[in-house]
This record gives sequence, C-alpha cells and structure tokens, in this order.
Amino acid sequence: MSTGGVMTVAVWRGGPEGSAFQEFRVPGQKSQTVLDVVIWIQQYRDPTLSYRFACRVGMCGSCAMTVNGVPRWTCRTHVKRVAKTGRIEIAPLRSLPVIKDLAVDMDPFFEKWVAAEGRFHPQRTRDQPVRETKPQTRRRRQADAAIECINCAVCYAACDTVAASPDYLGPAALNRAWSLLNDDKDSGTEAILAAAGAKGGCHSCHAMGSCTRFCPNELDPMASIAGLKRASIAAALKRKG
Amino acid sequence: MGGRLAIERHETDILILGSGGAGLFGALHALQSAPEGTRVTLAVKGLIGKCGCTRMVQGGYNVALGPGDSVERHFMDTIVGGKWLPQQEMAWRLCKEAVVRVRELENEIGCFFDRQPDGSLHHKAFAGQTADRTVHKGDLTGIEIVNRLMEQVLARPVERLQEHRAVALIPSRDGNGLAGVLFIDVRRGSLRFVRAKAVLMATGGGPTMYRYHTPSADKSMDGLAMALRSGLPLRDMEMVQFHPTGLLAGANTKMTGTVLEEGLRGAGGHLLDRNGRRFLFDYDGKGERATRDVVSRAIYAEMRKNNASPGGGVYISMAHLGPDKVRKSFKGMVKRCADCGFDLAAGKVEVVPTAHYFMGGVAVAPDSSTALEGLHVAGEDAGGAHGANRLGGNGVANSTVFGGIAGDAMGAAAVSKSLRDPDETVLEAAAAGVSAPLGKSPAPVQPLRERLQDVMWEHVGVMRTRAGLLQGLRGLSEIAAELHEIGVPGGSLAFNLTWHDWLNLENLLTVSEAIAKAALARENSRGAHFREDFPEQGDLEASYFTLAQSGAEGLTVGREAVDFSIVRPGESILPAGEPESLVAAS
Repeated sequence: MSTGGVMTVAVWRGGPEGSAFQEFRVPGQKSQTVLDVVIWIQQYRDPTLSYRFACRVGMCGSCAMTVNGVPRWTCRTHVKRVAKTGRIEIAPLRSLPVIKDLAVDMDPFFEKWVAAEGRFHPQRTRDQPVRETKPQTRRRRQADAAIECINCAVCYAACDTVAASPDYLGPAALNRAWSLLNDDKDSGTEAILAAAGAKGGCHSCHAMGSCTRFCPNELDPMASIAGLKRASIAAALKRKG
Repeated sequence: MGGRLAIERHETDILILGSGGAGLFGALHALQSAPEGTRVTLAVKGLIGKCGCTRMVQGGYNVALGPGDSVERHFMDTIVGGKWLPQQEMAWRLCKEAVVRVRELENEIGCFFDRQPDGSLHHKAFAGQTADRTVHKGDLTGIEIVNRLMEQVLARPVERLQEHRAVALIPSRDGNGLAGVLFIDVRRGSLRFVRAKAVLMATGGGPTMYRYHTPSADKSMDGLAMALRSGLPLRDMEMVQFHPTGLLAGANTKMTGTVLEEGLRGAGGHLLDRNGRRFLFDYDGKGERATRDVVSRAIYAEMRKNNASPGGGVYISMAHLGPDKVRKSFKGMVKRCADCGFDLAAGKVEVVPTAHYFMGGVAVAPDSSTALEGLHVAGEDAGGAHGANRLGGNGVANSTVFGGIAGDAMGAAAVSKSLRDPDETVLEAAAAGVSAPLGKSPAPVQPLRERLQDVMWEHVGVMRTRAGLLQGLRGLSEIAAELHEIGVPGGSLAFNLTWHDWLNLENLLTVSEAIAKAALARENSRGAHFREDFPEQGDLEASYFTLAQSGAEGLTVGREAVDFSIVRPGESILPAGEPESLVAAS
C-alpha cells in the first residue's frame, strides 16, 4: 500500500464526552509518514480533525499517537512499516487526558517530571567558570546515556504500571532523575532520592520493559529505574546504619 | 458561526510570547529581576518547550571561550559574516553576553555541553569563523538547551497559557504604549485579552512561506505580522537564509525541506546533478565545502539548467566515504532518512535549498526595547544582530542572550510601571479580524498555502530580479484576495486547526509582502540576498539597511545608513598582530 493505491485509515474522534473511530480512504504515495496521513485527512477530507505536531523530524516529541495499538512518533513512522494490511488505526496516546481527537493534555506527564525532581539543582553561578568534567568517567557516561530524551511520552503511554496506577511518576521522569543523580554538577541528590523512593516512585516499577522496548530514541529507562532502585535502597540502608 | 466572538479578560505583570531560547530565558530572568510577587505569564502557540525552533538547533552555540579566542574576534566574524549590515551594538552585546549565557546554561540551568578528554568545553569549527568556538551537545544541542530551560521554568511559579496563539498587539487607549495581547485559546476556540505591564515578543521567525523550509511547522511569522499590523518598523526583511541541503521527499510530505546537516558536506559528501556529475567546482574552488549561500545558489542554478533530479533537486551522495563509516559518523541523519525510506549511507538522497532562518525582524534597541513602550522583542523576531547573514551557531546565542536581556529589563521596570487600559476599538477590530473566515463558505486552505510557497520560491527566493519580485508581489495579492473569500467550517472552534491554517496563511502573506518589497529596495547583493540584476555588493562604506513599515499608504520600505559605531569597513578591532584566523587551514 505504500506506493500508490488507497489505504483505509481509522481515526479516533472525540473527547472526554465520548468517542468513535471514523474511517477515511487516503491515497498512498512513496514517501509518506503516518503524520502525513493525518495531516492529509485534515487538509482534504475533514477540516475539523484535531491533532498536534511541531518539528516534523523527531526532535520535539509532540506528535506521538497510538498507531495500530502501539505508541509511536507519527512523524518518523513510514506508512509501509505499519500498513502491512492496507489499514491503519490511529488513536491518541494512552494514559493522558484527551483534549480532542488525537491531541492529549501532556500536563500530567510534565507535572510528574517536576515531582521527580527532574530539573537541575545548581551549585555554581553564571559568574563562575564552567566546571571541568571528564567525559569518560562511569558516572558521566551513565548521565549521558539517559540524557537524550525528548519527552514525547511514548514510554509513559506504553507503560502498564502508569495505566494501572495514576500516581506512578512513570519512566521518562524517573529516567531524568537518574541522569541528574549521575551528574556531578547537580546538588539535588537527597531531593532526587527522596522523590524516587516515595510512593509512586521507582519502586512502583515492575520492570516489564515496555518503556525500553518502545523508546523511539533507543534509550533504556528501565535500566535507569533499576539504577534508581539500587541508589534508593542504598541510601535508605545508609540512613538506618 | 459568524458574528463576533466574546473576549475574556485576564491580567498579569509580565507577559512572554514564545517558549524557545528567548521566551524561556525571558521568563527566568524576569522572575530573577522582578520584585517578589510579580506575576509572570508564559503564553505559547503550542506546548512549552516543544514548539518553536530552538529545540531544532543541531550545530551549536558560538561563544568566545576557546583557546586564544576573544569577544572581539567573535564580533568581527559576526560583522564580516553579516556583510557589514549588522547593528553593531547588538552584535557586540551578542558576542559579549554569550560568554555569560553559556556559563549560566552550564552552571545554573544544567546543560552539559560536550567536553574534551581533559574536561574542558569542546569547541567545534563552523564555516565562516576564524576560531573554533561552537560549543555543542553532539548534533542535538537545541534539545539539551530547551529541555533544561523548560524544566527550570516548569518548576517555577510561572503562569502557563499553552496552546494560546497571539493574534494582535493592543495599544493603550491614550496611544502611549502597549496595553496587552489578544489571544486565541486554541483548545477552547475562544478569545482572551491579557493585559500586562510589559510584553516580550519572542515567537520566532521561521520563513515557512517557501516551498522548501526547515522551521518547525507551527511557525507562521505571527510575531512579525502582528508587529507590521501595529505599525512597527521592521529591518532587513529581504534577508532570508537558505540552507543548501533540505530533504526532498515529494508532495504532501512534512519531511520535505528538513535539514540534512552541514557536516555531511564538511565530511566530504558530494553533490551530484541528475547525471551523477559533481557541479560545485564550476561555482567555487572549495566545491561542496563552500559557504551555505554559495552552495544554495549553485544548486538553484543547476536546477534552472534542467540538471535537476526527478524530484526537482540534486543528489547528496556519501557512499564513497564508506557506508559503515557514514552510518557511524552521522547516526541520527542516517536513521532519520531511513525512517522515511531513504538510504543516506549507501545510496543517493535528493536535496534542495531550503528556507532556514530569518535575519530580518523588528527594529529593536540593544536592550530589546522597541518604538512601542512596553513591548520588548528578542530572538528571531528581532532584526539587526546578524545583518545579511547569520553565522551557524549565532542563532541560539542570539535568542538566549537577548531573551535574558529582555527579562532583566522587564523585571527591573515592573515596579515602576502600571497596567494600561486598552484601545477598545483596536481590540474589537482585532477580534473581528480573526473571526472573518468563520462566517464564509469553507474551502481547503492548503492549496492556497502551496501557491504562496511556489510564488515565494520562484520569485522571492534564492535568486531575485526586479521583474520577478514584481511578479511575486502580484501573486501575493491574488492569493490574499482569494484567501479572504474562503471560510473555515464553523461548528466547534475548539482545537480547530483549519481556522489556524487560515490565520497562518494570512500572517505569512503579510510578511511575504514585506520580504518582496524589501528585496526590491535593496539594489545590490549581500549575504543571503542575491539580485541577478544587481550582483555586486555595492560600496561597503555606503551600506544601508531596509526598514519596512505599514501605514496609510500600505506597506512601504525605506533605506537607512548603517551606523559603523564600533568598526568601519576595512578596519578591525582585533589588536595589531593578531592572526587573521586561528583555524588551521584545511
């Protein structure tokens, strides 16, 4: 269906008050992503369709949707990867409130990012030189391995624990916390460990691995969370000791 | 629908439009410099930190922190690169404050830029510069900067108006300043007027009115269109930077136009015409390694000679460097191409010059203030720092430096300023303006958008002539007339993207007219602006910049002499005996 031909696209329509899939027939072409399909429907078939995207090249993490049951960046998903049967089903991301059609409210995702202490805690000021940091130390490599997250919420939507426990901080926020914990420049170790060890923190993770399996950037949030668990337990033992 | 939409009212002290490098730094610095309790509101067309172009920065951030480098050298490169058109005080401020801003990003915001093995910052080489001065995070520098800034803003008491599209700057009733900004709340489809003591406009430029363009898709020059409608003067509007290698993926593909990075040519990539012939040496002795403007014009010229590839561009070919090596060195680019069905490592990929950055913008003072009291402008919405050409790595420096400066200025002034009453007539007219398409019979907006992009590409693009520009202007008015005949479906206005497509196109048409008229007014060729009928750069001593302004006679463009307040053409502020370049000849 990827060159020429017509594909059937079922699009989730609605909002908090109710929903249904609506089918469209969309002409296929050689180079075509799922995002191109969604945009074509809005521009030429149904001008009332709502969705969100921005950068169109996998840098902003605004266009993630559920495509044939799987969370994906639609801008970087070629139609031929998902339309093997000539049919695509597109729905909003799971576990986030729908605003309308394919657009979700990402605020809960970012509130958890903040709750996980997912922000830098400074030691120096702009009046001081940049800290010398050797790039090859173990800690720096661990921080770097987790850093290239673009907060697209694909892992969050993929996670069954998030779906089952609304207070769970989720893989992206905890992955950021792990990156900070390994950053020698950061002074928030205690706050990060407290957030990670609290209810809804890293110990809620059942290590099912959907986050790592679906991360479009090939990050490994499950390993980050495992690191946080170890650090959190070590800190608790130290406090007792 | 039809009829007039109700306007909800809201108040704050400091209002910031946009959440790229300029908007986020504006918010943080406003909080730092304003008295406690000052209300800071961040309004953004999309989601905070997600829309806009700072996040898309690949190359890096120019800062004079490298061995032997100096603010003076960075400044001279900026002036020479800008073909002597930059506003020199702004360029100086840019280079000087970049040093502070990079330390702030590293020490206070938490960015981690790439290091040398000894732990010091790594500075990479970038074309057109006489020192290795570009700090970076791999080739995803923008993501690191915006993610870290976004976290800091989200963790602070900043009021957030997300998916709020600014549609008009509303002056005060007494005409002495800015009263506030009218928005469409995209999610609800309603209008909201926000009064503020001071406003930072940092919506970003983004020349998306060209057939091929790189910026984020939310960009439609909203800031500059609002500024023109408010009668503010805009400078250097003819200066549109084209990147030579945008991806070509065919009609109706959003990937088309997005950048294949500069480093591919730097590493030895070949550009080939339809017959597989390397053509760049016909134009420049440096071949594919020539500067962006030269390579863009060469590709465009080949396309006009009917040497174009089937998709209408040329090929970039990397395979001769060894596909495995290419896969390793350009992992992100190879994967991006592969996701769209192209093999960058072993095959050939079609590319085309693509509109990338807008040097023009609102005429501002070096402290970000404007002719309208209460309005500050920073980032790509502000003109002057880059003149006729922006150096790679000076874009994110510009947005973060001047966003911070604006935040400082607005925060410090917050105590002494008071809220102004809006001119209700202007407010009503603005509300009526955005409601205009709601009562009319709907038709698809996208075909008109494509016509605009064709007109700008063909007649106001990489190479320009007087006859072509005049033809382009006629095309623009025809499209504008047709746009105003068509409507968008009423029913629910909540998250009604088609309404916003219509408004986007209207704004792009407004700014496109200014680009075309400024291009007519510049009768020489400098930097990004090339006139086939005036191919010489002209007398540098007599350099002028263009100023576009809307008034009773429509949009007019004048010229003003460049003020060489720091350095004159042919001179340098580098100490005597300093080498011309610190970069080893390649």
